[in-house]
Amino acid sequence: MSQSYNRGLIEDFGRWREFSAGMWAWIFHKFTGWVLVGYLFTHIAVLSTAIPAAGAEEAVLQAGDDVYTQTIVTLEELLLVRILEVGLLAVAVFHMLNGTRLLLVDLGIGLESQDKSFYASLVLTGAITVASVPTFIAGAF
Amino acid sequence: MAERYSSFSSGGNMWLLQRLTAAFLIVVLAFHFFLLHFVHHADEVSFLMSAGRMETLSYYSLMVLFLLTATFHGVNGVYNALINQGLTGTKRTVVKWTLIVASVVLIVQGIRTANAWAGIGLF
Amino acid sequence: MSTQVPKQTDESSENATDAETTVPSKGDARREEKRRRAAERREERQAEEAERAAAAEDTVELKVFRYDPEVEGKQEPRFDTFHVPFEKGMTVLDALMYSRDTYDSSLTFRHSCRQAICGSDAMFVNGTQHLACKTQISELSEPIRVEPLPHAEVTKDLVVDMEHFYDQMHAVEPYFQTNELPDGELDEQRQTRENREKVKMSTRCIWCAACMSSCNIAAGDNEYLGPAAINKAYRFAMDEREGEEIKQKRLEIIEQEHGVWRCQTQFSCTVVCPKDIPLTEHIQELKREAVKSNLKFW
Repeated sequence: MSQSYNRGLIEDFGRWREFSAGMWAWIFHKFTGWVLVGYLFTHIAVLSTAIPAAGAEEAVLQAGDDVYTQTIVTLEELLLVRILEVGLLAVAVFHMLNGTRLLLVDLGIGLESQDKSFYASLVLTGAITVASVPTFIAGAF
Repeated sequence: MAERYSSFSSGGNMWLLQRLTAAFLIVVLAFHFFLLHFVHHADEVSFLMSAGRMETLSYYSLMVLFLLTATFHGVNGVYNALINQGLTGTKRTVVKWTLIVASVVLIVQGIRTANAWAGIGLF
Repeated sequence: MSTQVPKQTDESSENATDAETTVPSKGDARREEKRRRAAERREERQAEEAERAAAAEDTVELKVFRYDPEVEGKQEPRFDTFHVPFEKGMTVLDALMYSRDTYDSSLTFRHSCRQAICGSDAMFVNGTQHLACKTQISELSEPIRVEPLPHAEVTKDLVVDMEHFYDQMHAVEPYFQTNELPDGELDEQRQTRENREKVKMSTRCIWCAACMSSCNIAAGDNEYLGPAAINKAYRFAMDEREGEEIKQKRLEIIEQEHGVWRCQTQFSCTVVCPKDIPLTEHIQELKREAVKSNLKFW
């Protein structure tokens, strides 16, 4: 056989309609994972404003005029940051719920209902996110 | 195809560690979210309140452990994702060490921040 | 219907003139004429058949992937449409055979037993890996798209090169090995009923490669052993008659860099397996076995 034809990755995203539950779970888990790692680095960067703040006078700290408190307060005043936080919660909750599902799969528990447990984690993520919106938005206006 | 067997690697240990940190993180991340968004609210953050929490040894050690496991879980996850995309050879070595350096920087910076709150001189 | 490539008719008429000028015997001319008329009649019949099939109510439309590296006009992959009269119980393989026998005898695909045992006719039907002989037309939406297995090189039409898949299968040493022989020279190596039950599903593999083709990881990492090979390893690693020592050797094979740890539990293989083998479950169990044996080793 001298010649053959390589069709490459024909099962690409172009065929997303044909993806099964397990495949979607993998894609979402990977996506949320990337978001969370990105957030982890940003989070520590923002929090480390506490390092210069620690050198401030006691009175400045009491008044909340230090770099750290000011940075966080300024950020939390922005509605966009609050909305992004709700998004972060959704991403984290999905990663945790689907992660639990994957741990169960690793332990060999409930492999027959892996698709149902994926849908369940989606629904639960939605429910928890919606229920948390009031708490997350509180004081932003 | 005998050379197949010589590429025995510690993949199993990393796999297990990824799962163990996952189990730990699920609990601690839930606690973290609950404490800092539902018990304390986002608009009432201040240096003194954060410091107050961090001065407790159990909270400080939990947060340091949280940082270590989260960094491992996240960075190892990214590394695995890249390997599954077909990362090999020199590129792979470069990515691996970049990720390790980034992790070390993140952990050092995180611990310095925690020390600043806890009033530990090392920061 | 465009199953014929115009270029081909030119070639055949050229050949015919060549034959006439070099060997102008009467018999040859007569035979040539006869062949020509037979071909004409065949074409007529095919056209009639196609017209009738297209007009008939109960026909299914098949879109079949075509590629032939040996014919100039067919080197560019394309889809051909075939209208096949539907019959109750018709499978994708039946429809393909009808298309080949009625419209285009060059349509190429593998099949042998037609009863899901030989594993030759795994194909990509409407975007999923299926065994053509086990897939009912009535359960598919039209037009039915039939393609060769993804992530494998296409040799011709629906035929893919299986060499890589077989290499991976052989890499796990898919045969019984033991160094724990019974005392008597002629004693049988008995397996307990429970142990047989444990490996039962894994023995069902028919090497059709549907799982390997569906696996997103195998697509990206050509060295990944793949679900079928790991399942094969499971079949023997879990067989108690092989003994501890051989089991350790098998675990080392599946634990290598491109072995079980690559599995991301997407369940694609388990979903497409025509023999309903719980592939993901087997891979997961091997991961746990490997972890356990590593911990023991510490």
